[in-house]
Amino acid sequence: MSFFVAENLHKRFGSQVVLEDISLAFEAGGVSGIMGPNGAGKSTCFNVLTGLYRPERGRVLFDGEDITGLAPSEISRKGISRSFQVMTLFDEFSALDNIMVALPAVRSGLGRAFWEMRADSALADQAEAVLAQVGLGGRERVLASALPYGERRALEIGVTLASEPRIVFLDEPTQGMGSDGRTLLVDLVQKLRTTYTLVIIEHNMQFLFQLADRISVIHWGQVIAEGTPSELNENEWVRSSELGKV
Amino acid sequence: MELLHGLLPHIVNGFALGVLFALIALGFTLIVGVMEVINLAHGSLFALGAYIALVVISPDPDILGAFADSYFSLPLVVRYALALLVAPLLVAAVGFGLEICLRRTYGKKKEYGLLLTFGAALVIEETIRLFWGPAEQSLQIPAQISGAFIAGDMIYSNYRVFAALFGICAIAVVWLFLDRTPYGSIIKAGAHDSEMVQALGINLPRLRLLVFGFGAGLAALAGIILTPIWGLRPHVGVDAVIPAFLIIVLGGIGSFWGAVAGGILVGLAVGITGAYATDWSILSMYLLLILVLTFRARGLFGKKTVLEQ
Amino acid sequence: MLTAKGKASLVPRQMLVFFVILFSFPFWSQSVGLYDYIGIEIAIWIIYGLGYNLLLGYTGLPSFGHGAFLGIGAYGYGLAHLNLGSGVWTGLIIAIAAASAAAALAACLLSHRRGIYFALLTIAIGQIFWFVSIKWHSLTGGEDGLLNILRPELNLGVTSISLKSNVALYYLVAILLAVVVLLLWRFLHSPFGSVIQTIRMNETRARFLGYRVWLIKWTVFTLSGAFAGLAGGLFCMTQESAYPDIMSLHASGLIVMMVLVGGGFVSFWGPVIGVVVFFMARDLLGSITETWLLWYGLLFMAVMVFEPEGVAGMWDRLTRRFFGQFPPAPDTKRSTQEELST
Repeated sequence: MSFFVAENLHKRFGSQVVLEDISLAFEAGGVSGIMGPNGAGKSTCFNVLTGLYRPERGRVLFDGEDITGLAPSEISRKGISRSFQVMTLFDEFSALDNIMVALPAVRSGLGRAFWEMRADSALADQAEAVLAQVGLGGRERVLASALPYGERRALEIGVTLASEPRIVFLDEPTQGMGSDGRTLLVDLVQKLRTTYTLVIIEHNMQFLFQLADRISVIHWGQVIAEGTPSELNENEWVRSSELGKV
Repeated sequence: MELLHGLLPHIVNGFALGVLFALIALGFTLIVGVMEVINLAHGSLFALGAYIALVVISPDPDILGAFADSYFSLPLVVRYALALLVAPLLVAAVGFGLEICLRRTYGKKKEYGLLLTFGAALVIEETIRLFWGPAEQSLQIPAQISGAFIAGDMIYSNYRVFAALFGICAIAVVWLFLDRTPYGSIIKAGAHDSEMVQALGINLPRLRLLVFGFGAGLAALAGIILTPIWGLRPHVGVDAVIPAFLIIVLGGIGSFWGAVAGGILVGLAVGITGAYATDWSILSMYLLLILVLTFRARGLFGKKTVLEQ
Repeated sequence: MLTAKGKASLVPRQMLVFFVILFSFPFWSQSVGLYDYIGIEIAIWIIYGLGYNLLLGYTGLPSFGHGAFLGIGAYGYGLAHLNLGSGVWTGLIIAIAAASAAAALAACLLSHRRGIYFALLTIAIGQIFWFVSIKWHSLTGGEDGLLNILRPELNLGVTSISLKSNVALYYLVAILLAVVVLLLWRFLHSPFGSVIQTIRMNETRARFLGYRVWLIKWTVFTLSGAFAGLAGGLFCMTQESAYPDIMSLHASGLIVMMVLVGGGFVSFWGPVIGVVVFFMARDLLGSITETWLLWYGLLFMAVMVFEPEGVAGMWDRLTRRFFGQFPPAPDTKRSTQEELST
């Protein structure tokens, strides 16, 4: 049984079918990719996998457990963490505070936390470590809204990692980034792959091909190709499609 | 059969309430649709309309001075009709003023606009209290539409029938305006999708001004007709804004027929409750709102609406 | 939200200043043309306002029906006094319990909502409570309310102080207010305090971080109801009566305006400032004109249009402009970049 499995997902919005009988599987410890042109259904697929939407049919299983239709808060507590494409940072908080509220120590200790003062060193230390991990060491006290775009993206990933997840979903992490940013991101992912299982959704083929062990290509609401980057390079459709334009 | 028979006058009353609620809701829903602002002052505009009508119908003779005699010699019907014309226009002007106040809040957090209209509601209510006092007032209605008649052994109030007919005509006029005139079509389109309207090159600020004034005017009109039924007190406004909100939750934002159907539904519910417990009929609206919002997660279409941001 | 290493103070500078002013008030009130009774009113409404801002300023939930809980607290205390002969503490505990229970009940309907749905529901709930308080004559005394709630004796074991004297009552309220301030300060500077703010800023993200948002909202609402209940009980004790009007939408609107004018959106002290401004307006403007509430309402509207961060926000900007970092701005929930990147 694979680590994270989607079985026969079917999702409709009104009368429009967006996902048609999609099945995916991701192994633990690797970097998996989901690729596809815009409007192909990959975002919807992603949102179903991470609990934002409920599929009409099909199941999502994590480590053998059926998590279909669970509330986002429960899914998060199972160890599934996701980043957001339209960044949803807490703008009025500092970078450090953004991370702190994501820490499991804070989340599960809320009752006791009534009494602890927030500026508890141990929590701040943990949060600082996460920031360092995504290259934001030294930027702890800057307001999230004051960070430049690239750093906001890094913070976004930091928040995703802060909850010590077992599997991390990244939603179009290279969005809006220049080539410098992308290089940094590649480095970051290479660092993270040793600790986390990653699933990355992207339409930048170059980026994915560099990093992913396996990639699923979604188009017209279906998985039309699947395999390692080299296998996909052989794939006629992939080569001739828009995606093939490197 | 007995039951239904006995309920008939209440059904008529409910229907009258319903079309008037629809009028309030129409103005409200257009404002929400075009401007994405929940106008909590809608109810006080409703009340203001009635109070201004009071002034038009029986003004303070001292203000009129020399004209007092000739003015009061005008038949009540004439003064009443004048009120129906003048008051909504004046309230529309107040609506313009409110829209201008709101302008600065458009880009900011949604709460600011809501709070501003809440503040405006209190200010208007306080102004009413100031000029007219906190006591209950009554609006004179012409003899032609007061009194009662008997039909098939039930007694019906003339005024309720008038209110229902007036409401229907008003709704028809609004429909004609929205459907058949250029301004109306722009408002209708704007209520549906304000961004698109702007992309089409239409002056959005002017549209907003117009819509707000129009909505305010409709509320005022409804207020003049409804207050003889409900009573005229400074805080009657709250009881007007709650059904408006309930109706757009039921009928969808920016939807003409949604507002009409929702209005009639809510009106009937209130009217029929009134058959059993008059005191509690207004309360039934609040309970209905709670029920609807508790069990119906979203409006009619299941999409996230501006209400949920 | 200043995150510094090490513990933030339990009793920061501003709080000390506040306590000094609070406890010394009766000594200098007369010299500035004030009097003890207004001090009591202000202190009670600050308790109400601080509890209310927990909901509005911190969690971002606009409640327009909170007067219901103030009223239930008042009636709770009054009924306990009249029917059970309760003294100060029992009466207040009953007031808090009654208001909390009502708030908990209302919160069951409210906690899955936010924004406008939330606001309208609170209006409806508030109206229903108000309506019931008028109609349930046998319990609440109808429109007249409960009367003759005599000021009690405060039994301290060794001695007993009559609270008929305004000074004595003032100190009781002041002590309770001090406790409330300490408690809330602690609470809002705990991790829980940060978490409730995430709900204000981005509820969806809070969910995706694993927070059971509905439960947190429920808790905060009930807590704010408890504080309203305490204020209500004290209110009844002070006014020696309880009546439906405090549950009306009109009255519920007052606390909203007070808190926001003061700067509840950005500062812990916003409600304090706001309540003081309101009562100053009432007494100063009120002596000039009967229409003072109208002017206050217009002030509120102006604040929403021009300065939504209220007095605290303006103070924040002014001190920053003139003094740089010194003196420190009142505790703003939102830190500025300059303050942080040292």
